[in-house]
Amino acid sequence: MEGKHGLLNAPTGSGKTYALWFPIVLNYIKNNPDYRSTHKKGLKAVWITPLRALSQEIKQSAERITQDLGTQMTVGIRTGDTSTKERAKQRTTMPDLLITTPESLHLLLSSKGYAKLFKDCTAIVVDEWHELLGSKRGVQMELGLSRLKTVCTDLRIWGISATIGNLEQAREVLLGPATPQLENSVLVKANLNKKITVKSIIPKTMEKFPWRGHLGLHLLEDVVPIINNSRTTLLFTNTRSQCEIWFQKILEKHPEYAGEMAMHHGSINKETRLWVEQAIRNESLRAVVCTSSLDLGVDFAPVETVVQIGGPKGVARFLQRAGRSGHRPGKESVIYFLPTHAMELIEASAMQKAVLHHAVEDRIPYLNSFDVLLQYLTTLAVSDGFYPEEIFPEIKQTFCFQALSEDQWQWLLNFLVMGSQSLKSYDEYKKVDVEEDGKFKVNNRAVAMRHRFQIGTIVGDATISVRYQKGGYIGSIEEYFISKLSPGDVFTFAGRNLEFIRIKGMSAHVRNSSKRTSKVPSWMGGRLSFSAKMSELLRQELYTAELPKAKQSIEIQSLAPMFAKQREESIVPQPHQFLIETFKTSDGYHHIFYPFEGRAIHEGMSSLLAYRISLLTPITCSLAFNDYGFELLSDKPIDIQAILDNNLFTADYMLSDLQKSLNSNEMARRKFRDIAVISGMVFTGYPEKGVKMKHLQSSSELLFDVFKDFEDDNLLYQQAFTETFEHQLEEGRLRLALERIAQQEIVWKQCSRPTPFSFPIITDRLREKLSNEKLADCIKRMTAILNK
Amino acid sequence: MNLTIKDQTFQLHPLGGLFWQEKSLLLISDVHLGKVSHFRKFGAAVPRKAVHKNFVLLDMLVSNFQPFQICFLGDLFHSSLNKEWELFENWVAKTPSEIILVAGNHDIIAPEKFQQLDIPIFPELVIDDFLLTHHPEEREDHFTFCGHIHPAVKLQGFGRQRLRLPCFFKSKNQMILPAFGQFTGTHALNPSKDDEVYAIVEDTVVKI
Repeated sequence: MEGKHGLLNAPTGSGKTYALWFPIVLNYIKNNPDYRSTHKKGLKAVWITPLRALSQEIKQSAERITQDLGTQMTVGIRTGDTSTKERAKQRTTMPDLLITTPESLHLLLSSKGYAKLFKDCTAIVVDEWHELLGSKRGVQMELGLSRLKTVCTDLRIWGISATIGNLEQAREVLLGPATPQLENSVLVKANLNKKITVKSIIPKTMEKFPWRGHLGLHLLEDVVPIINNSRTTLLFTNTRSQCEIWFQKILEKHPEYAGEMAMHHGSINKETRLWVEQAIRNESLRAVVCTSSLDLGVDFAPVETVVQIGGPKGVARFLQRAGRSGHRPGKESVIYFLPTHAMELIEASAMQKAVLHHAVEDRIPYLNSFDVLLQYLTTLAVSDGFYPEEIFPEIKQTFCFQALSEDQWQWLLNFLVMGSQSLKSYDEYKKVDVEEDGKFKVNNRAVAMRHRFQIGTIVGDATISVRYQKGGYIGSIEEYFISKLSPGDVFTFAGRNLEFIRIKGMSAHVRNSSKRTSKVPSWMGGRLSFSAKMSELLRQELYTAELPKAKQSIEIQSLAPMFAKQREESIVPQPHQFLIETFKTSDGYHHIFYPFEGRAIHEGMSSLLAYRISLLTPITCSLAFNDYGFELLSDKPIDIQAILDNNLFTADYMLSDLQKSLNSNEMARRKFRDIAVISGMVFTGYPEKGVKMKHLQSSSELLFDVFKDFEDDNLLYQQAFTETFEHQLEEGRLRLALERIAQQEIVWKQCSRPTPFSFPIITDRLREKLSNEKLADCIKRMTAILNK
Repeated sequence: MNLTIKDQTFQLHPLGGLFWQEKSLLLISDVHLGKVSHFRKFGAAVPRKAVHKNFVLLDMLVSNFQPFQICFLGDLFHSSLNKEWELFENWVAKTPSEIILVAGNHDIIAPEKFQQLDIPIFPELVIDDFLLTHHPEEREDHFTFCGHIHPAVKLQGFGRQRLRLPCFFKSKNQMILPAFGQFTGTHALNPSKDDEVYAIVEDTVVKI
């Protein structure tokens, strides 16, 4: 470390844990020459990991070093899984080396006397920094570090990141722009030429391969030889429900794997997950079906092969998963890509190019996340209180809040104390008090307790724990899914068939069942979008469809029957063409546009276009989009010629049109949900206490409307829109996409039935809605959903 | 929108009130006053201006019908006493109609506080053949007016269009009123064949 700060760029499985633990321990030895006989107590280093599942592994490697070097240093873990007893013990004697998560770090900052605790801490390591960087947990980390820089007398800050497009920026965000820490820092790249081989699983007959779908079960039998030819195989799925289904189906078709196959995802209880991880290391498993829960860290040497089921939507993620195999420096990584529908074969081909050129995405850091800042300030007020003049300069040092103005700062302080910008006599708002000497402090114990429960920036749907009636925790499920079950219903979860008995408190009671079922809980996971780079590669691949066969990749070659079908009524677009298809089905009139720019861009573009169409004529339509294009579905045809004549794809007035489009309102509403929870405006309740807190629970839906009507200048309300435009719709990319379309020749095909390209889009059930007709007019054409 | 039930005339108002013409009685359910203040007291910064909205809407409804009596069908106050009570006192003082309360599950404020304002409280009320309660209840030979549910209806149309609207929900012998309160949610009900649904569509009431 040589007294420097920095960022270490190293892939997983390259011994990075040792690379940073070693100097930390050596530093201690240097400063304490009699380290063998006397042991100076107190916290010396903190290791931050985004996944608590990784903490055991990190602890073991730290312990190996401390013992090998003959020190008496202790290593401890503090995460959400740590027992209260263990925590209390830590409060009196902190371990020398502490492994924790960003959330638990903030919980430490919310305890009294935290400054003393951290005083002699000499190093902080932020592991998997790339995972945190593009999320609000990254902001949380920036804020935590800004405090520790002051509190710790002699501190080194190090980050570890896998390869991302903006490594330099990652270092700047970690250390703070224009700080002495950044000045005195290095970026270390571990140059390991790891060979990655990507193989696509190509369906034997294209005729029977589906045009849509997301499960990929058609190719199940092709996975079997892969599993058989390898010591251990990881099968990565994109969602937890897909994971459950694959696990079940493989066992159904191949009972011989029973006992040699396991499942791993974030909702399964911790003991089972740890058991699975251990079993992988022991080589006692042939195959594990998993989700992103096994993406990070943890060395699994026996894994020889990885199968990715369905498009991974990102090059970095794909590389990361590929790296799970041959997980030893110098070994080759093998990853199979299993497409779930025909169009994904194009993605498979593009992915190979991406891996070859190492075309990794950027992780875009958040700016001005006022919700996280409010949470952080409350955290400081809960512990020892804070003086604004002391904290403001620290916050200004962070990347996220480098542009924070004095006015905004004052607004935030007012909001903390008064819950608004002015005082009214009848108001009983209570949170943070200002004491006589100007210290901001929470003095109400209930407020402090509620706040501690709310620390964190990951907002999920309310979850319910699933338990056997006689006790025994199986895992947790979204409340939304359970609410649709009636007693006696059977569903699949954690690889078992369970019969739902009743809801009690915040848990669902179940018993094992032998009945077969098709009910699998769906988790509302975020849908990921292609990056600009990936979209570009995808378009390039698609354009090769018109090349002679010899110049095509095998994936594109295998798609020939589908391209032929597509050409029957439409075209496979070329670089200079922009394709629009229209047709009618029993669902309504479909209008499909193919920019091939990635889901996020299509979401914005569809909203923009629908809004502009609504200016020409009253319209009600629903929007659907995927990575290839988007659809406007309406109960009457939309005049495409009018869209072209009026130049509705123009990039002029894009932002103001987007802001006015009703849909961006809907998107902001969803963003606001998280903001309301993170900033502490919505209380999600104590775990397990459930119903008792009902009086204080409200849906953020309602809250959004109240802000819209009464306080639209609220910084948090406005943040919802900024986030929508910058992070969700990627305004800058959208503009470039529109400018590209402006250069293209528009090809409008009126088809008699859905084309292969359109199929995955029109069957998407997750839809946005847009209408500028009078509600009463709409209703005349609608009917109530009647009881069956 | 007017309805005749047991030879009596009832008017449905898009703000969520129901007016019994013959008795000059205005029925309002689930106002949840004090909810915004309750949240603020516990550190959730719901915009303060929202407090006044309920009173403004109540005034609109009262001036529209000028009823002799106003009956709240429960959940008038969301939670324990807070300073919004003073605003409610002011509103009661300037409202000429008689006010009565049929208590709901949220009404936990001491009855004496209501007595001080001359507001009588009943667990339920029977007027002629009509039963007024908070919780839905079917009783022989009676028609029930109640609240509690915050009913809404889901609609669908061609082109996969979907909509959710608060509504008056009438079954054979019962009418569930929509929640009047501004800062409250709704619960979607599935109508069966015999049910009648009167949805609130912006500023009108439409029979679905």
